[in-house]
This record gives sequence, C-alpha cells and structure tokens, in this order.
Amino acid sequence: METLGTFKDVETATRAVEGLIKTGFPEETITSLTSASYPDGVIVKTDQRTWFRWAAVGGGIFGACSGFLLAAGTAWLYPVQTGDKPIIAFYPTGIVTYELTMLFAILGTIVGMFLEMGIPPWSARPYDPAISEGNIGISVSVDSREQMVRAGKIMEAAGALSIRH
Amino acid sequence: MSEHTLAAKSAGQLNDEMLSSMRPPTWRWYGLAFFLGAVVAWGISAFTYQMMTDLSVTGLDRPVMWGIYIANFVFWVGLSHSGTMVSAILRLSQANWRRPILRAAEAMTVFSITVAGLFPVIHLGRNWVVYFFLPYPNQRGLWPNFRSPLLWDATAITTYIIGSSLFLYLGMLPDLAVVRDRAAGWRKKIYAVLAMGWRGTAREWVVFRQASTLMAALIIPVAVSVHSIVAWDFAVTVIPGWHSTIFPPYFVIGAITSGVAAVITLMIIIRRVFHLEEYLTPLHFDNMGKLLLVICLLWSYAYFVEVQTTWYAHEPIEWEVWSFMSGKYTPLLILMLIGNSVLPIAGLCFKKVRRSVKAMLVITLLVNVGMFIERYLIIVPSLSHKNMPFVWGTYSPSWVELSVTAAAFAGFTLMYVLFAKFFPMVAVTDVRELGVRHTDISLGRAKVHSLTEEK
Repeated sequence: METLGTFKDVETATRAVEGLIKTGFPEETITSLTSASYPDGVIVKTDQRTWFRWAAVGGGIFGACSGFLLAAGTAWLYPVQTGDKPIIAFYPTGIVTYELTMLFAILGTIVGMFLEMGIPPWSARPYDPAISEGNIGISVSVDSREQMVRAGKIMEAAGALSIRH
Repeated sequence: MSEHTLAAKSAGQLNDEMLSSMRPPTWRWYGLAFFLGAVVAWGISAFTYQMMTDLSVTGLDRPVMWGIYIANFVFWVGLSHSGTMVSAILRLSQANWRRPILRAAEAMTVFSITVAGLFPVIHLGRNWVVYFFLPYPNQRGLWPNFRSPLLWDATAITTYIIGSSLFLYLGMLPDLAVVRDRAAGWRKKIYAVLAMGWRGTAREWVVFRQASTLMAALIIPVAVSVHSIVAWDFAVTVIPGWHSTIFPPYFVIGAITSGVAAVITLMIIIRRVFHLEEYLTPLHFDNMGKLLLVICLLWSYAYFVEVQTTWYAHEPIEWEVWSFMSGKYTPLLILMLIGNSVLPIAGLCFKKVRRSVKAMLVITLLVNVGMFIERYLIIVPSLSHKNMPFVWGTYSPSWVELSVTAAAFAGFTLMYVLFAKFFPMVAVTDVRELGVRHTDISLGRAKVHSLTEEK
C-alpha cells in the first residue's frame, strides 16, 4: 500500500518528508515523485546503486555468442571453398559478432532498466497528474490502515494539496 | 534560454511553450503534409514502375551499376550518423546547452537511417526477393553469405535502427509521461502505454540517468561502425578510387559533417515554426557552429590527404579516375569544395556568423548539398573508369531515380512533420531540470549563477 501527498513546492514537500521520518517512517519507504530530476538528497535520499548494467553485460555476451554462431556457423555449414582462404573468415565473423554484441547489449540495457524501475507496474499505484505541472509528490509505503491515516495527517499538516491512496 | 529565465517561469508555462508543436494542426500543417505525401506517392509510383519493368528504366548500365540510389544510401546513412552521436557525446560530456537540441538530433537519426535502409532494397534488381537476405531455414537451400559487405550493411543498419530508436524512446520517456498527464481521450490511452507507467520517483530518475549515460556510451561505437562498414562496401573492392585505407575514417568524418549541419538546419526550422526562440538561442548556434567548423576542417584535411596521395603517386588508373572526375564534373566538384570546405571554414571562424541564424541556414544547407555531391562523385567516376578502358562509360540518373530521390527527401520531412505533431520536439523534462538545479549564490561582492550537478 502507498500514500501519496501532492505539494506545491520543494519546501512543503521536504517538510512532509522530515515529518514522516520524525514519526518513525523509515527513509527508504519514502520517495518523491517529480517531473524533473532533482539532485539526490534535496527531497529524499535514494540508493544510487543499480544492477541493470549486468543485464547489458549479459545481453552483450549473449549477442557475441549469437553473432559468432550465426556468421561462423553459416560459413561452416555452407562452406565457400576459395583457394588459400579460410572457411571461417575472421573479418565478416568479427563484424557480425561485434554488431550483435552491441545490439543485445543495448536491448539488455533497456530491458534491465525497465525491470529495475519496476515499470510497467503490475497493479495501479497512486499518482497525481499535477506532478507533471511542477507539483511535488511524496509517497510513502505503508503496511496498515493506521499507518496510512497517520501518513496522510502528517502530509496534510505539512501543506499537502491532496492525498491519494 | 538561460537557467535564470527558466527558473523564473512556472513548470506549466514551460510545458505549454515546449509542447507547442503538439497543438491541434492548422490548415498549413495539413497542406504541407499533403504536399509531402504527394511527392512520396509519386516516388512510390516511379519505384513501382521500375519494379514492373526492370532496371533499364534507370540510368544504370555497364559499367556503372551503382548510381544515385547508392549515393542516396551513403548520404542518408551519413546524415543519420550525427544525430545520435552528437546527442550521445553531449550527454556524456554533460554539456548543459545540449538539452533543447537532443530530441531534434535523435529523431533525425531514426528517420534518416530508415530512409537509408530503403535504398539497398530499392536498388535491387528483383526487389521482391529481398527476404533472401534473412538467415532462416528454407527449402531452397539458400543461406546468406556473410562474406558479402552487403550483409555487413544489413546487420549494422539493423543494429543502428533498433539502437537509435531505443535511444530516442529512452530520452522521451519522462516527456511522454508529461504528455500523458496533459492529454485526454484516446490520446491519453496511447501516451499512457508509451509512458509505461512512469511516475518520476526518485529511484526511477536514478536508473533513468544511469541508463541514458550507458546507452550514450553504447551507441557511439555502433554509429562509428555503421559508417565504417558503409565505407568498407567500397574500400574492400579493388576498384580504383575506392580501394583506400582512409575511406572508413573519411566516411565517418563526412557523416559527422553532414549530420551536424543537418541538426543545425533542423534547429533553425523548428525554432522558427514552433516559436522556440527562447529555447534555441544564439548560444546553441554558436556552439554547434564551432563543432561544425572543427569537423569541416577535419573533412578538408582527409580530402586533401586522399587527393594529394593520388596526385603524388600518380598511379595511372587512380589518376585517370581523378582526372575524369575533375574534368567531367568540374562544376559539381567546385560546388562540393565550396559547400564542405571553403564556405564553412571561412564563415564559421567568425562569432557573428555562427550567431546569425540566416547565415547558419545558408552554410548548413550548402554543406549538405556538398555532401550529397561528394557521395555521387565517390561512386560514379570510379565505376565509369575502371581498370579496363574498353568498358569505360558514363552515367546520368533517369527520371525514375530522381523521383525516388525526391520522395526520399519528402518522406524524411514528412516523418519529421508527423513526429513533431505527436511527440515533444524539445526534451521538456531535460530542459526543466536546468531550472530546478539553478540557484543564485553570493560570492564575494557578486551574486553568481550556480548549477547543481550529480556527484
């Protein structure tokens, strides 16, 4: 469950974040929703470590193997006999391997990025379209109805324009 | 637009201004789209006529079997080069002035590589068997031969089309969410799907920034490889004038020249049409002008090296090709040298010229005219005068080829016009980020602008 408060500006939003932390909500359960990227720590602190790069590496390795198998395998299965030339030529095999490595590394990056972001979401999550117009959203993950009400009250006291669950 | 002005405007106001291209179309827009569509339709009919008849309706004949179609292919691949590359380099170097330019550049890449990819297919004698290119099990026992440079092209262009489309989409993701939140009805549903449920959480922004940087780093080597491979189409042959080690870097430099010039031309058009004067300022033209100046100097150096080596060695057949080209195509050669070298180098040295929108429009258009000529002069003279004098010949494009060429330019413009109506032409959230990161701080006796960067 999630409670989302929408604020007019950064000042009121940060007041809400401080209020939530003071009343016992762990900082890692609080996040900001903004339509422009703010430097880390201005509104909330976020873990900067990511793992999606490994998806890019995995994609690259998969692409390299596929590219090599495609070009070298083709040459091996359908040999073109040319005097004094290798059946599996280095140049074309290298090019096809390189291109497929890059292609799958790019695809791995995109897929990994979406997986790490958790989008598209499996279920509906609270959101306010006013965030696109410059308002700041503060969202907190809650475990119970009591916490939800408490979070809502803190955000209202800090100056929230609206509260959504 | 300065960071100061950005900070002074509300987010809603900035959204309104930067999304102005997506307002309901006017009759002028419909007129332009109809005209471009008509030119494309004319080109398609010419191509259909070619397909129904045969290649005899083109100017192609022995010994010149690569003509304006392949010149088009090389030109459009070159044009596609810089969009993504400029955007990627500016992203990696965190140049803040890049922000309003990115989208125009990235979209240009996707559309020009799409047009480029059509030309090898158009050029085929039997276009309907183009699927023979695809490696899939079949009863005919056919399998693509990867020793052919054309297969390298097909592989590289596929990678580049997919990579640059994803690069464009990735950069647009937060903007699509803004458009989704402002749209209504069926449009809202479509943008909601495209925005993939983006909400702009702090975590999403962290991953997004890192993914943008990684994609930029991955796309640059792909861009370089694509044009190097196109150069190898020529350089790995033994045709005089083509068999040259400098071709891949020379092609890459030419591609960047052409692409940077096209990005500037598009910036000028977008600025004027969508009234984005506050976002695409003289500073942007000044910086892009400096970049173009450096690239034109490099191109001139590469061209000089290529010509002086041929001249000094005076190898008979190489010299014959050069003499034939400079003799038969003198006006085109002079126009190319003026457009790609003399005019940009002489003009762009001056700040006043770089900051003049009109001067930049003239220079950048001439650069691309010069670049198209350069592609033509690389292909046709070498094939006209190959090693055996008894098969020397000439080539001039037929109305069919010229119609298809006109359709390519119209098709590219049409795709751009449609894109501008349905997607943000300026990276809205990227530009707005400058505003939220800007602050004035006191330093000694003065107040100075300060911009927060990530650690």
